[in-house]
Amino acid sequence: MVKMSLDPVQVMSGQVKELKVAPSSNGDSRGSWEEKEEFSQDHLGLTTKPKPVTGRRARKVEGGIFFPKPENAVTIAVSSRVLFRTETEQKVFEQKGVEEYLRYQIEHENEPFAPGPAFPFVKALEAVNTRLRELYPQSEELFDIVLVTYNHAHVGIRLINTINHHNLFIERFCMTGGASPIGYLKAWHTNLYLSADADKVREALAEGIAAATMFMPEKLTEVSESQLRVAFDGDAVLFSDESERIFKAHGLDKFFEHERENEDTLLDHGPLKGFLEALGKLQKKFYAKGQRLDCPIRTFLVTARSAASSGIRALKTLRAWGLEIDEALFLAGAPKGPMLEKIRPHIYFDDQMFHVEGAAEMGTIAAHVPYGIAQKHQKVSKKNTTVAK
Amino acid sequence: MVSTVQNTDIEQKDAEHAVVVAMTFKAVFGSDDGDDVYGAGVAFTLLQALQTVNERLLLENPSEMLLFDIILITTDRQQQQQSDRIMSSTRHHGLQIHRFCFSCEDDFTDSLLQNKVHLFLSTDKNETVQAASRGVLSALVDHQTTLCSSQQLKVVFCGDSIVQPDADINAASRQAAEVFSAQLGEMRRRFGALDSPLSIVVMTSSGGRDSCCSALRTLRTRGLSVDEAHCLAGAPRGIILSVLRPHFQLSDGLSGLQD
Repeated sequence: MVKMSLDPVQVMSGQVKELKVAPSSNGDSRGSWEEKEEFSQDHLGLTTKPKPVTGRRARKVEGGIFFPKPENAVTIAVSSRVLFRTETEQKVFEQKGVEEYLRYQIEHENEPFAPGPAFPFVKALEAVNTRLRELYPQSEELFDIVLVTYNHAHVGIRLINTINHHNLFIERFCMTGGASPIGYLKAWHTNLYLSADADKVREALAEGIAAATMFMPEKLTEVSESQLRVAFDGDAVLFSDESERIFKAHGLDKFFEHERENEDTLLDHGPLKGFLEALGKLQKKFYAKGQRLDCPIRTFLVTARSAASSGIRALKTLRAWGLEIDEALFLAGAPKGPMLEKIRPHIYFDDQMFHVEGAAEMGTIAAHVPYGIAQKHQKVSKKNTTVAK
Repeated sequence: MVSTVQNTDIEQKDAEHAVVVAMTFKAVFGSDDGDDVYGAGVAFTLLQALQTVNERLLLENPSEMLLFDIILITTDRQQQQQSDRIMSSTRHHGLQIHRFCFSCEDDFTDSLLQNKVHLFLSTDKNETVQAASRGVLSALVDHQTTLCSSQQLKVVFCGDSIVQPDADINAASRQAAEVFSAQLGEMRRRFGALDSPLSIVVMTSSGGRDSCCSALRTLRTRGLSVDEAHCLAGAPRGIILSVLRPHFQLSDGLSGLQD
């Protein structure tokens, strides 16, 4: 069933359905946060251009940079273990326990961590922010990156030193000292949570927060520094796992039959639909300024569905949701690795571990969404990798 | 006129080493339903958390002397006349209040100084401001405190005020904050990283990562290592605090008491 050539792949690129963008909906919501009480003190009687009164203000207005309200921004929460490489420290923790681990971290406080799997993604988010700030200097509709870690604050100074070393725009963080980060993810209005801890990711998904587990890949393909490229699997990622359930229970034929019969029925939404939606919202801000062709965000659907009825159902669903995907790739069961290698996404989301592993082997930064029926069949599907649906 | 009565039901703490925490009657006890005893007030779980820390400290080392020493301050004349009822309420709720202090509203700050109070907790903002102006470290407790854990004492240090102290802050207040930080730091070191009944939190509300980093470094020089750090860079504090659920927040000046 699996063909190694990319022949069955059909690419539907750039559906340029014209968008209606009302002038008011271009997201230029002038920062009402500036009217907030805590800011009014140093603002009284001044113009809205704040004077660099305190260190904070000086930092904030430098280059027109300010921090959005969490509910207006697209908030990406990353854990320290996906943003940075912490394998050595992890080993110390596992072998010598928490006290030794903390001592080690403090002793190495001035040695920055190397970039981790989410690092290129975060850099790309910042590149998009730079473009957004140019087009909409006052808008709060930006990516906001929050470092959310259950690390002890003992590690805080090293983490901040590392952020400074790599010159990342991360000013917000929660170090929970071992407590569950889930409540904070909600408080930050998190649109996407990336962590190395599958349990925490599952917990977040159960709370309705888009989340994925990231791994340190053996090799890293170079990715674009100017365009954020995000690739999604369809079933149990953007869509619910209803069709995947049919496939797992009754096989491929029944799956095709089910999809044919339900071609006109929309798929239910999956755990990452909201994140695609958030990306789409930001993309439209570029389109509204005539930058559709030069948009610094590009989205991909990379699905094992075929371009026939099962693919049509996926596209119809996206269209009905008002979501555009820039490129839809229907692999009809072909392995995803080679296609993803060409796309070079900053992150690829899949609910099936063997797709994640397959992508990672070829150098793609892949993240696992532990959601839906595939998690129950994890072990079976790992052995039987020819079944690529 | 200030009078202090020892609670003979429980053992007194070592005056030299104890960390003296004064709480107002209104913070500890709530509604007066005309019952024999007063109901629980907003700082009830806070008081229980202080007791938990004491118990755990003694469990680690039975001859421990660095313990919380609790004083109940009553300024209301009417309640003062019911000192028996206060004591029976204390007994009824199993509260470890070491001393009862009765003073007038005008001179309650004298009673704080006389009793060498390290930390004053009240539901009344005016009282905390008055106490702070006399160099007593003070913090507000409110209805949010009721939601806190009785098993772990969580103390938030306002990072902004540590990095950029209020210009008006008096030397005594500054010193009081440093003394209490050091005491708390020493207490925290009695426990391991995990399962500590005392958790130290730094929160920078307006500052970004650099402010938070300086706050962490400053507290470290005071002998206080921090468990949790939250750096909000202008994001609303309230929603983070509602997850964090600290028992109280401390600031190096008055600024932290104003929101």
